[in-house]
Amino acid sequence: MVFFLLRRKARSVLNSLLRQSPWERARNAAFLLVGLLLIIGLYAAFWRLLRYLDAVPVIGTLLIWKLTALALLTTFSMVALSSLVTSLTTLFYAYDLPFLMKAPVSLRTVFVDKSAEATFYASWMIAATLLPYLVALAQVKHLGVLFLFAFAGVVFPFLALASSVGMAFTLALMRLFPSPRTRDMIWILSSFSVAMLYVLLRISQPERLVRPDMLELVAQYLSYLQAPTAPALPSWWLTRALWGCAHARWDVFWTYAALLYGVCAATYGALVYAAGRVYADGYSGAQEGRRSGRDQKIEETWETRWARGLRLPLESAALFRKERLCFFRDVKHWSQILLVAALVCVYLFSIDRLPLDSPDIKSLVSFLNLAVAGFVLSSLGLRFTFPSISLEGRSFWVLRASPLRVETMMRQKYLFTLAPSLLVGVVLILVSNRLLHADRFISSLSLASISVMALALTSMGVGFGALFPKMNVPNIHQVESSAGGFVYMAACLAFVVATVAIEAWPVQMYFQNKFGKPDAWDWTGVSMCLAGYAVVNAVAFTVPWVLGRRNLESHEERNP
Amino acid sequence: MIEIIRLTKHFGDLRAVDELDLRIERGEIFGLLGPNGAGKTTTIKILTGLLRPTSGRVRVAGIDMEEAPLEAKRRIGLVPDEPFVYPKLTGSEFLHFVGDLYGISLETQRRRIPELLEMFELLPYGGELAESYSHGMRQKLVLSAALLHEPEVLLLDEPLVGLDPKSARLVKEIFQRLSKRGCTLFMCTHILEIAERLCHRVGIMVSGRLKALGTVAELHRQARHGAGGLEDAFLSLTGGLEYSALLKNL
Repeated sequence: MVFFLLRRKARSVLNSLLRQSPWERARNAAFLLVGLLLIIGLYAAFWRLLRYLDAVPVIGTLLIWKLTALALLTTFSMVALSSLVTSLTTLFYAYDLPFLMKAPVSLRTVFVDKSAEATFYASWMIAATLLPYLVALAQVKHLGVLFLFAFAGVVFPFLALASSVGMAFTLALMRLFPSPRTRDMIWILSSFSVAMLYVLLRISQPERLVRPDMLELVAQYLSYLQAPTAPALPSWWLTRALWGCAHARWDVFWTYAALLYGVCAATYGALVYAAGRVYADGYSGAQEGRRSGRDQKIEETWETRWARGLRLPLESAALFRKERLCFFRDVKHWSQILLVAALVCVYLFSIDRLPLDSPDIKSLVSFLNLAVAGFVLSSLGLRFTFPSISLEGRSFWVLRASPLRVETMMRQKYLFTLAPSLLVGVVLILVSNRLLHADRFISSLSLASISVMALALTSMGVGFGALFPKMNVPNIHQVESSAGGFVYMAACLAFVVATVAIEAWPVQMYFQNKFGKPDAWDWTGVSMCLAGYAVVNAVAFTVPWVLGRRNLESHEERNP
Repeated sequence: MIEIIRLTKHFGDLRAVDELDLRIERGEIFGLLGPNGAGKTTTIKILTGLLRPTSGRVRVAGIDMEEAPLEAKRRIGLVPDEPFVYPKLTGSEFLHFVGDLYGISLETQRRRIPELLEMFELLPYGGELAESYSHGMRQKLVLSAALLHEPEVLLLDEPLVGLDPKSARLVKEIFQRLSKRGCTLFMCTHILEIAERLCHRVGIMVSGRLKALGTVAELHRQARHGAGGLEDAFLSLTGGLEYSALLKNL
């Protein structure tokens, strides 16, 4: 039966691949190309890093395997975290669940089907970024194709085990707390705990362990490098299996491969068994709506008063209010807000701990920090701005049937998601500049740049969200990890890199002037940079927006 | 009130609507019948401005949908085939939101929203999130939203699906009252009994083309089933009677 259920998914994928219009074919080919370029870029970066480490005398190989263990540990934690978000929606709120639950299919079979889906969505993108690392490792250490085949053979139970963390947690949550309100509270508390754990881990400064000067003896450092990294976790078992393959120690490889498969089988066996007992209760609880008993008074809202004061159309106020209510009443967004807050704390802590001495170096780092802050804003956009159009979901007809322009709706989404993006960007740059004691020129430039960047990235988020809407998916994670999300991220990264690259020239002139070079300022160059900056921003602001608006205006044509 | 002139809609090679000509007068209740995939929902979506026609024109309340879509939409109330509403808004908030979108004054909303909620027996649930509503309750909420701005034209796609008998009767009475007040109702339905009892005229659509048009009595004559009900006429015109022999083998 599981085979039949999985076959319907394969059939759906096959059908959508075979029945593409020429436009869809061209679009998907472009996605593939961008994805491939990104993977090649990652491969090049990993290859350089691993070659550098390999060239370190005596401890080069130890360093490489330590890094591999850390990379796999990070992958494991990221997939586990991601599965926390995907499991709840995939296991309990997927659109096809009412159909599957009514069909003469056992609960355990439905669970196996949905858990395969949850594992896929939680891990495919993270696994895709792991692949260039492994290829680079095989290349640098001359391990050949066999190593990659061995990796392909053992990576599946590794990812499945990481994903089982989220599924076990969700099953327990839904069984223990059938009341929607309690479940929401627990969901928020668990997200808060994960965020706190993340902050605490960073504050413990694990990077000190890989700096030899922090340890008293060379022997101590060597023993750290040789020590297992979280030996109780599957990431270490995968590291050992790969090490065994790389060193032709097949006994080690098979032992750890067997351990991975054995524990994976046992874990899933236990999960499937538990699902048979608790899945029905959890699913039944998930169908209960939250009874809120809110006030029914029809009052003028503060949004309406503001819109009237600012002479904005009143329907904008209605849209803004709808966005606000829907966003803050959905606890799935709260967990993301908590994680963003943790990310900001860790970011600023890391800036504070940068080992920089000279004030000029600090100012330079403040400028380069603009790129990192831009990447953070892009990721925030992927979480909040990009899915905002898709989150209209099947209620989109309400807006389309009403006397409302698509442009007005997009503008409202822009205004709603701009505030957090601008706030986070400005806070990151202001506090970073203060921690780094950046000089006035760099502080002003980076503050102005991050503000414009926040405006442009939000516009790109709404534009690309409208260009690649996914109205029929139950899970926000599926919107983020869609091909459109990938294009959005790639475009954002290109925009951030272009902005920093354009500004780098005047910044270089500034430092040259500061170090005493006469006539450092080349005003023709500055004008060219300003023109380039204007062009890049004009493209970022308008192209995705216009394409997205046109696409959304004819959305029903493609989805009748 | 509704004018459809040589309306055609293609989806790739598929002709969903093919040269449809139709004129529906003010206060008329018109029922569009047809088998699945006949093009009924596509027609409603074009009338609402959700889809653009490949060729032909549509005028609603005297306004060309292509030339002034927002003006036309302001005069239309839509009940789609599936009542999806924002799950995180309460029933009352949803209606307030729709009221603001259609530019209804706060005073009118204060009067109309409780009225509509009470009429559809939703008042005790007006403060509950829509995610806790049953299918029938959501259908009634969508009907309330469609009536909130007192539209001149009501477009209804299977409006009675999911309603209990009491609510279905109430809705039928509301439709008749609206029709008497001059509101034009364009309804797609599979429930032939509703079309028979409620509609002034009925059209039968097959493969995007209007196969028959007229009052129920006229359709009987066209189908040469004078004594039978609308069901026989419908099956005769859509080829459904051919299945009778097959059904006997079941």
